[in-house]
Amino acid sequence: MFPFWEVPAFTSGIFIALIASFHILPSHLATGAFWFVTYLEYRSIKENKPHYMDFIKKFTLLILIFCFVLGSITGVGIWFSATIASPMGLSALIHNYVWGWATEWVFFIIETVAIYVYYYTLGKIDSKTHLKIGITYAFASWMSMVVITGILAFQLTPGKWLETGGFFDGFFNETYWPQLFFRTALMFVIASIYATLVASFIKDKNAKGDITFKASLFGIAGFILMVLFSVWYVYKLPGVPKSLDFGGVLAYMKILNKMVIFSSVIVVGYLVYCTIFPRFTNPVISIGTIVVLFLGILGFEAIREGIRRPYVIYNYMYSNNIIAKDVPAKGIKAMGEKINKDGFLSTLYLIPDDFRKITPKNRLEVGRIITLYQCGNCHSMEKNGKIRPLPRYVSNLGMNAPEDLAVFLDVLEGYPYMPPFFGNEEEKLAVGSYLSTMVN
Amino acid sequence: MDLASYINSLRDPAGVPFYPFVFQFLMVLTFALHIIFVNFALGGSAIAIWGKFNGNPHALRLSKALARATTTNISIAITFGVAPLLFVQVIYDPFWYTANTMSAWWTLGFLALVTMAFIFTYVGYLTGKSNEKGGNIFWIIMALVSILLAALTMHGLSEEQLHPDKWKEWLTQTGTLKTSGDALYAILIPRLTHFIVPSFAITGIYLMLYSWLFRERKDFSTEYLDYVLNLGVKIAFYATIFQVAAGFWWLLSLPSHLNFIVNHAFLFGAFLGMALLVMLAMAQADPKKYIFPSAILGFVTVFFMSYARETLRMAYFKGVNYTIFDYRVAVDWGSAILFFGTFIMGIIVVAFPAIVAFNLARKGQQN
Ligand code: HEC
Repeated sequence: MFPFWEVPAFTSGIFIALIASFHILPSHLATGAFWFVTYLEYRSIKENKPHYMDFIKKFTLLILIFCFVLGSITGVGIWFSATIASPMGLSALIHNYVWGWATEWVFFIIETVAIYVYYYTLGKIDSKTHLKIGITYAFASWMSMVVITGILAFQLTPGKWLETGGFFDGFFNETYWPQLFFRTALMFVIASIYATLVASFIKDKNAKGDITFKASLFGIAGFILMVLFSVWYVYKLPGVPKSLDFGGVLAYMKILNKMVIFSSVIVVGYLVYCTIFPRFTNPVISIGTIVVLFLGILGFEAIREGIRRPYVIYNYMYSNNIIAKDVPAKGIKAMGEKINKDGFLSTLYLIPDDFRKITPKNRLEVGRIITLYQCGNCHSMEKNGKIRPLPRYVSNLGMNAPEDLAVFLDVLEGYPYMPPFFGNEEEKLAVGSYLSTMVN
Repeated sequence: MDLASYINSLRDPAGVPFYPFVFQFLMVLTFALHIIFVNFALGGSAIAIWGKFNGNPHALRLSKALARATTTNISIAITFGVAPLLFVQVIYDPFWYTANTMSAWWTLGFLALVTMAFIFTYVGYLTGKSNEKGGNIFWIIMALVSILLAALTMHGLSEEQLHPDKWKEWLTQTGTLKTSGDALYAILIPRLTHFIVPSFAITGIYLMLYSWLFRERKDFSTEYLDYVLNLGVKIAFYATIFQVAAGFWWLLSLPSHLNFIVNHAFLFGAFLGMALLVMLAMAQADPKKYIFPSAILGFVTVFFMSYARETLRMAYFKGVNYTIFDYRVAVDWGSAILFFGTFIMGIIVVAFPAIVAFNLARKGQQN
């Protein structure tokens, strides 16, 4: 096991959640915007409408800064945050999908070069060539989505990979196509909202109305498709039609569902408003809508994460980076049996040497370390922690003897959203002792 | 369990899906490209600041051009940085993930610093765009400081990886396991210097290329371009002298048992560095003739220095019996072909916008 990084009260996963959720805005804007931009540019060339090009210049600058600054950095940031919160989980994705990621990188280069050239040559080269650069960008950026979706979908539904270990078996898994279509529709929605935001700054009412109207139609079309594809997507999720909230056990999943629905209603309401009153939009309302959209995305990502629980890669690796299942085709062995036999400490090396043997003196501290490793990805250790505080949960169990809590570890397996505890009897007692200090 | 078998246990059980030397080659190549643009962003923003204070109108004009170029440079540096970041995780995962989890807040800090550098350069560029005197230099200074701190952080994270024998000491010095991720444990100033000084050599060479690129343009005066060319060749020359000195400093700071001084990759890189120095010395008299030879030799030197850096890493890891060449390989041809096919297609596609941009820069706006 790699060293463990503890984030008080919030757990390390909070950074992945925030960065990855935020990244959805710039990444989908980057892939969606140019289908609309190139359409406008085409109309502008054909009908000689220079005000379209004024808008395009501003919109492209927004994309350059928002997507190619914040988007690129949060994209890399997902790797970095996964590195420090779930190193083995990321390592598994990297080692199986390195060529997929490298392929996406090629499209990322095309995108980057194309968008800069598009921006800096706007109005300076002949318009047909310029339009072609825009189309190159639109296509390359969407291709990066085509590739990355496979890897993201793999994490949720590894499909036949679990038997064959094959790259494409994991890539084209059961949620790949619904996710790709869903994200493609979503990118139109996100791009259209940002387009109306940029258009809302235009002074000339006619130009503003014209562009806002077109952009919002584009978004409404995306929204309708998104709703259709999301039904398909949900239907293909693992454990569905098993209900999304683990049969009502996890109340907060219901709240997340409501968050997503609320956000969708606001978004579609905003887009409809833009088609009816395209001349009367203003930046504050648009930005407000984007904030609500972001909350919806946060909720949606939390649901996805919830469905995946207790795994970081579904059915393959638990959230605490312990491999759950043999993958004979890859020569991979589940780790549980060995850990139960040799002890969890056998997987650690970077600990004080006298911790190797559990004694009454170090029992609590060793218990704390094992608890961090096995529970700390999902539970914070502080009484008033914000993310599933273990002291509160353990206190609610109504037991406080170390031995009883050690026995409780054996029933963890029965919870659908938690991994079993792995370790030998001594270690269970150490964890039990540590947990008992949490009870008040 | 000993350290070597612990490190092995951190490897991904799936093995690697292609021959390790291919990942290694791609890593070295893309790292060279990455570091060139990092250097250029760093040197470019430093010279932009200098030009603003210099008072010479040519220097001011150059300062504006460099401030603008820095936005693109950071972007390209990130784009090229993604690839070595990917490949290092494939072949050096035990070291990469350990260093980052040990110093997790620094990893996040690195992200924040790059974001800040990026935003500051954009603010500097956008506020200076329509201003005769250029933007508020404060932003470019802030950007430079952010880039330097980001460089320091990434340097520390890399240096930590080279000392697995110290990991345990670092993490257990408090008597228990440290999980706070708040310390950066290893910094080696000579090494860091050797990564920062070339910024000026690279930027100097870039200035030489710049003077060539805009030579035919009517809106660029000969005096201005000659000024930039002469400035470039001087900066490149003096920076290379310092770079050679920093190189020796680093070399002397290395543990003697690594015997790096007889390492072939290093010797070849050092030879190229010297050759570059000689060429830049000759170029002082008539820089125009040496623009392309210097640029090509400069790039080749950076590539071989990256390669030397990689062989240094291999030398360090011999100490813990780690070599990438015994990573379990399960070749996956399908996905490898997907990548290489896309890569070739990508070069062809990228050529289109790149040529358009090149022609526009060279000839200026036609209509
Ligand atoms: C994959 C994430 C995950 C891991 C790892 C995990 N848990 Fe949980 N745990 C949860 C979730 C989710 C809940 C339910 C939270 C809720 O009710 O809102 C939960 C609930 C609990 C509860 C309350 C159970 C009840 O019946 O009310 C206890 C006690 C608990 N966890 C202890 C542990 C311990 C001890 C470990 C480590 C050995 C652990 N958990 C590891 C996700 C996890």
